Amino acid sequence: MNYKLIFKIAKALLLARWRQSLVAAIGVTFGIGMFITLLSFMTGLNEMLDGLVINRTPHVRLYNDVKPNPSQAVNKWELYKGYYNFIYSLKSSTTRQEIYNGNFIMKALEKDERVLGFAQRLTTQVFFNNGSLDLNGVINGIEADKERQLFSFNDYIVAGSGADLQNISNAIILGKPLAAKLQLNIGDVVPVTTAAGDRYTLKLVGLFQSGINDLDKVQSYTSLKTAQKIMGKPNNYITEIAIKVKDFDKAPALAREYAKLYDTDAEDIQTANATFETGTRIRLIISYSVGITLLIVAAFGIYNILNMLIYEKIDSIAILNAIGFSGRDVKSIFLTISLSIGFFGGLAGLVVGFTLSNIIDRIPFNTQALPTVTTYPINYNPLFYLVGIVFSVITTYLAGFFPAKRASSIDPVIIIRGK
Amino acid sequence: MNNILEAKHISKNFHDTGGMQVLNDINFSIIKGDFVSIIGKSGSGKSTLLYVLSTMDTDYQGEVIIDNVSMRNKQKKELAVVRNEKIGFVFQFHYLLNEFSVLENVMLPAYKLNKFSRPEIQKHASQKLEMLDILKLSDRKVNQLSGGEKQRVAIARALINNPLIIMADEPTGNLDTVNSEIVFNIFQQLSKEYNQTILVVTHDPGFAKKTHRIIEMADGSII
Repeated sequence: MNYKLIFKIAKALLLARWRQSLVAAIGVTFGIGMFITLLSFMTGLNEMLDGLVINRTPHVRLYNDVKPNPSQAVNKWELYKGYYNFIYSLKSSTTRQEIYNGNFIMKALEKDERVLGFAQRLTTQVFFNNGSLDLNGVINGIEADKERQLFSFNDYIVAGSGADLQNISNAIILGKPLAAKLQLNIGDVVPVTTAAGDRYTLKLVGLFQSGINDLDKVQSYTSLKTAQKIMGKPNNYITEIAIKVKDFDKAPALAREYAKLYDTDAEDIQTANATFETGTRIRLIISYSVGITLLIVAAFGIYNILNMLIYEKIDSIAILNAIGFSGRDVKSIFLTISLSIGFFGGLAGLVVGFTLSNIIDRIPFNTQALPTVTTYPINYNPLFYLVGIVFSVITTYLAGFFPAKRASSIDPVIIIRGK
Repeated sequence: MNNILEAKHISKNFHDTGGMQVLNDINFSIIKGDFVSIIGKSGSGKSTLLYVLSTMDTDYQGEVIIDNVSMRNKQKKELAVVRNEKIGFVFQFHYLLNEFSVLENVMLPAYKLNKFSRPEIQKHASQKLEMLDILKLSDRKVNQLSGGEKQRVAIARALINNPLIIMADEPTGNLDTVNSEIVFNIFQQLSKEYNQTILVVTHDPGFAKKTHRIIEMADGSII
């Protein structure tokens, strides 16, 4: 087939009705532009919200939970071996919170290819003393530099410095609302009473804000050493190993493996934050369906305009037929018209989408919950642009297909004689 | 032999009018260089016959033979090629494409034929326009032309692929006397000087009289 000629004729017909063609193309532009903007914005939000959880939550957490001993005496008794034993009024045993063989586990984790890194933690209950008032709180002994690398610890420090936990002895970082309750400023002394009744004084070096206010009202951080000292424990005492893995999706499998291997409890991020994933998926579905709806509306516009064009140009079609253009040529001409509306409209749509995304990206967005975010989040994923242009071409092809087929089946005799 | 166009036992019924017969066993042939006119009253079937012969209407019984090849079992696509290559059309209404200039309109069938390069096609088209004395109009848009000029452009377009035969359906039906005269003279010149085979359907006896051969039709048959 002579594509050059087909293009030439398609172009002439397109330009002869350039106003309608422009309106059709603007429909596509609008659809694609909105599609891209919507997806960029929605997935940007998704990533930000996911980041809130994924970045600072360990992918796998090894710890010892308070729970009843799983191997009860009756189950071990030969006599009742094959039975299903019901045990009533079972109490949780006084398990140690400490991770057994911590050093050995950490050595093994260091060699594990699938692990990006890990951090030791020690969590203990304390009271913060404020005059006659004792406020319930939690001290997390952490390795500040590892927490910064793996779990973006420093992003949530709103005053002071995270590094001071290591540099200054007996340093503590309090949740901002907790510090406000205790009427403390940076540099002040924080009196603490442990569960065992020992009293310590720590120095306030920073404030943090996680975005979850209830958490910030009780949480505080010290170095691992300080926490061990407060508890009167040796320097290998830890209650939790927080692991960040390389492949986020493999966390549940790894958690099961570690639980078995190291004989601890292990919790993966997916189990701990099941609701987040659901939200992410639903937001994505909504944005895709709205975007595709916009495109389908645009496609109907193209369908209408092509149909009108065919009515208007029915004489031209008949004459093309008479001078030797086959039905297939005529069909190609109208498909070319439709596809060029789709392609150029789509291309403009990509530009519009990028521009709108860029504008949204600059709108200030300040919220107390998210100290690191200053503007609305946008995800500039090239995939959206690819999907946009492919979809615009596909929909306009479909919109043009039926009118083009109709044009190709026009009987020139009826048109020419009917005049 | 030298038969360019042959009609063998052509009959046609209109299905939607209860099977009324519009063409009834038509037989004739046209040889190279013939200038033939088909005349008859309205409804005598002369235009219908022309469209059957032109390969655009495929709903008939009998056989149309163009250049010694039967059109009977050809597909629409193949018929389109035949029309492009071997037949030039002139209609009552000019039927030019308004989106293109005069020159482009004339060149279009040659582009479709795709046998010559662009500059060659342009040269051929200019020659045809020159021959019909309308070369000065080549860059004009179609809607800037008068009726007579349009019809001459249509003739130039019919000639561009050097067709075996030119078929014309009431080519002067929409023109005044002066322009009719011009168009007729062109046909005569083509016939005389270039030995062009021409088949014209007309209801104008004056026009028909000046052709080499007249086929008169009434009620779907040749008289």
